[in-house]
Amino acid sequence: MIASNQTFIIAAYAVTWVVILAYLLRLVRKGGRARAEYERAVQLERQERQS
Amino acid sequence: MPASTPSSDPVLAPPPRTSLWLGLASVIALVTAQTHAILTSPPDADMGHLQKIMYVHVPAAWMTFIAFFVVLVFSVRYLWQRRENDDLLAASAAEVGATFNGLTLMLGMIWGRPAWGVWWVWDARLTSTLVLFLIFVGYLALRAFVDDTDQRARWSAAVGAIGAINVPIVYMSVTWWRTLHQPPSSPATLDAAYTLGLRLNAIALLLVLIYFIRKRYEIARLERATEHAAEAVAMGGR
Repeated sequence: MIASNQTFIIAAYAVTWVVILAYLLRLVRKGGRARAEYERAVQLERQERQS
Repeated sequence: MPASTPSSDPVLAPPPRTSLWLGLASVIALVTAQTHAILTSPPDADMGHLQKIMYVHVPAAWMTFIAFFVVLVFSVRYLWQRRENDDLLAASAAEVGATFNGLTLMLGMIWGRPAWGVWWVWDARLTSTLVLFLIFVGYLALRAFVDDTDQRARWSAAVGAIGAINVPIVYMSVTWWRTLHQPPSSPATLDAAYTLGLRLNAIALLLVLIYFIRKRYEIARLERATEHAAEAVAMGGR
């Protein structure tokens, strides 16, 4: 009983970290893409204004 | 440099980067709080060491409530003042809140299986929490499928505000109805041996929540600024 309870405790903490780290990874990747697209769009707009 | 460049226009200005230090601090705080709770909390008279799941399950539920309260505040403010940034902040909090809501449900199931002998029961607390989760999944789906930015902001603000009203129902469900779920755990209802651990874990997860919402909001503003810049190009740089 104690051993099986331990499995559930480990599972709970593991799930917590998996969800937090997965969401963090999603934010980091999405943020990198968003900043790159922003820089590209701004550069295009500057070129448009200058032409 | 032209008079109105993307960097000088407040709409197109890139948002400041979310501090990496806040992210690191929240991870360190979470590791410290969880280690403290696991090592120092005594076994509960009824549940034994299973009680340690409380340190992740209860704070995750509190963060869900806080995130959806942020959604409510900024959705109402958007409907009132029509400020674009309020819409983006509400949407950011909704995504993070839905993540914590999903985590709360999973942790509840992991706790429920050894404590009650079942993964899931359709009692008031579990069902209302699932309904809350589905409302905010719907909110995110709505934002993904509506192209017009004004319409998307108005509709999602309405859904966000109405959806957040479910939060007090979830919280009070164990008081209003007979449920298998225990009454709410809080420092006021817990034995003194567990309160410090619960408070530390709640503060650590609150830091994680703040970091996530700020980071998601930064991304949302970048995406919106990109849209504005693209529109300006399409209109010939005006």
